[in-house]
Amino acid sequence: MVDSMADALLSLADVRAGYGDAAVLHGVSLDVPKSGSIALLGRNGVGKSTLLLTIMGYTQLRSGTVSWQGQNISRMSPHLRARSGIGWVAQEREIFPSLNVEENLTTTARAGAAGAHWTLDSIYRMFPRLKERRGNMGNQLSGGEQQMLAIARALMTNPSVLLLDEPLEGLAPVIVEELIDAIKLMLSDKRLAIVLVEQHTEIALELTTDAVVLERGTVAWRGRSQDLRNDTATLDRLVGLRVEPDA
Amino acid sequence: MLPPIFGVLFDGIAYGMLLFVLSVGLSVTLGLMNFVNLAHCAFAMVGGYVTVTLVNTYNWPFIATLPVAFIVTALISVVFERVFYRRLYRASDLDQVLLTIGLAFVSVAVAAYFFGTLQQPIPTPAFLRGSQQVLGLGLGNYRIFLIVTALIVTVLVVAGLEYTRFGAMVRAAVDNQRMASGLGINVDATFAITFAIGSGLAGLGGALAIEIVGLDPSFSFTYLVYVLIVVAVGGLGSIAGSFIAAMLIGISDIAGKYYFPELGAFLIYLVMIAVLLWKPSGLFGKR
Repeated sequence: MVDSMADALLSLADVRAGYGDAAVLHGVSLDVPKSGSIALLGRNGVGKSTLLLTIMGYTQLRSGTVSWQGQNISRMSPHLRARSGIGWVAQEREIFPSLNVEENLTTTARAGAAGAHWTLDSIYRMFPRLKERRGNMGNQLSGGEQQMLAIARALMTNPSVLLLDEPLEGLAPVIVEELIDAIKLMLSDKRLAIVLVEQHTEIALELTTDAVVLERGTVAWRGRSQDLRNDTATLDRLVGLRVEPDA
Repeated sequence: MLPPIFGVLFDGIAYGMLLFVLSVGLSVTLGLMNFVNLAHCAFAMVGGYVTVTLVNTYNWPFIATLPVAFIVTALISVVFERVFYRRLYRASDLDQVLLTIGLAFVSVAVAAYFFGTLQQPIPTPAFLRGSQQVLGLGLGNYRIFLIVTALIVTVLVVAGLEYTRFGAMVRAAVDNQRMASGLGINVDATFAITFAIGSGLAGLGGALAIEIVGLDPSFSFTYLVYVLIVVAVGGLGSIAGSFIAAMLIGISDIAGKYYFPELGAFLIYLVMIAVLLWKPSGLFGKR
């Protein structure tokens, strides 16, 4: 990961969090460096989505701190976290059905700390399909288009970190390929850090430099993605064997 | 020469326009924000008394008081929203009903304390008195003014919701509060402003209603029945639905009183029952 906390863009220190009386995370620490890329892996129900929701401020934080650019944001409301540069792509995509594609993109668009790198033009260049569909309502899209829109919508807020919650889940291989290319493109210019939760372990490890594996709400393994790819024993033990799509 | 039924239709449309301005805000708070605001017509009454006070005490021209009625009502309503309503957004319907019906009762007492229980007439400006002869029908100037005003309000509300960024933020926040805030929309503030605009329109409706139905402290409850019927018949949260329903109820009410005096004011309930039997979630309702 990173050498010191001060270098971290986003930092979680011994975070315990959950919903109501149910604790899901039991002391998770995580540092996301500037323009870093972290795969967040683990079996279903180990707390991967909860971790992202905790970063956004949608869970009950019992102890520990969430820091953003050196500032403690543990008590900050979600919309201010989003405005300060945390982009979130929810697992269920959650496109606004009453807004058309272009409104989904522009309604929450803003220039980020590094200026307005992502604009309608650059988004439509990356996902030409969204341009074709720009007048369609949010509920008239295929699953793949919804996912492109969910990612594009978050990028339009020009975030410094993008939290991606299973962006490839349930999509056709050809769409998966397109999204992989898009994520590579996002990472290529070093403006953006990503935290990628994904069940397609092989793809997630290929896209990222670092990996964190959760088990029962704690960090069970952390290190280079490259090392985890070659460590079949650890993968079997913590993530389980998965049928990969023909990628 | 047109038969008198067109005159009844005209009066009904004018009355429907009034009901629309009174009820569109409730359609938004009840339908989009899921808040049962039974004090909606108490806010409408505030607008009415603002106009009465400005015209009768300070000799303002009637037209000039209308924007003030809107603004004062919107400001008062946002104070109530921040202090009381906000705490009950996630509470049960019953809690919301108890709070807001309580506020409605309080509004009746407060209005009676300051203005007495009698009707508060205001002098109509000269250009809104009298009527225009069109194809043998006498169309009241004030009703023409009412229709034009309500149409302007309708266009502004629809355009504001459909074609402005703020309108898109309201729709996004209504669709999915969590995702909206996760993308940086201040959902609380968005709802507070929406609520204020809806209440302000009720206040405008209250001011416009003085000439047609009069104003006394019972306004909070008398017109609550009408606006609830309009919202139920139109379908929750649908502006187009509220508009059509307001026309339907307005025309039925006037036509009922004109053609079936023995049935009188009861006809609107039959219309409501018929529509809701046909479409239980209202004409344009989604749920």
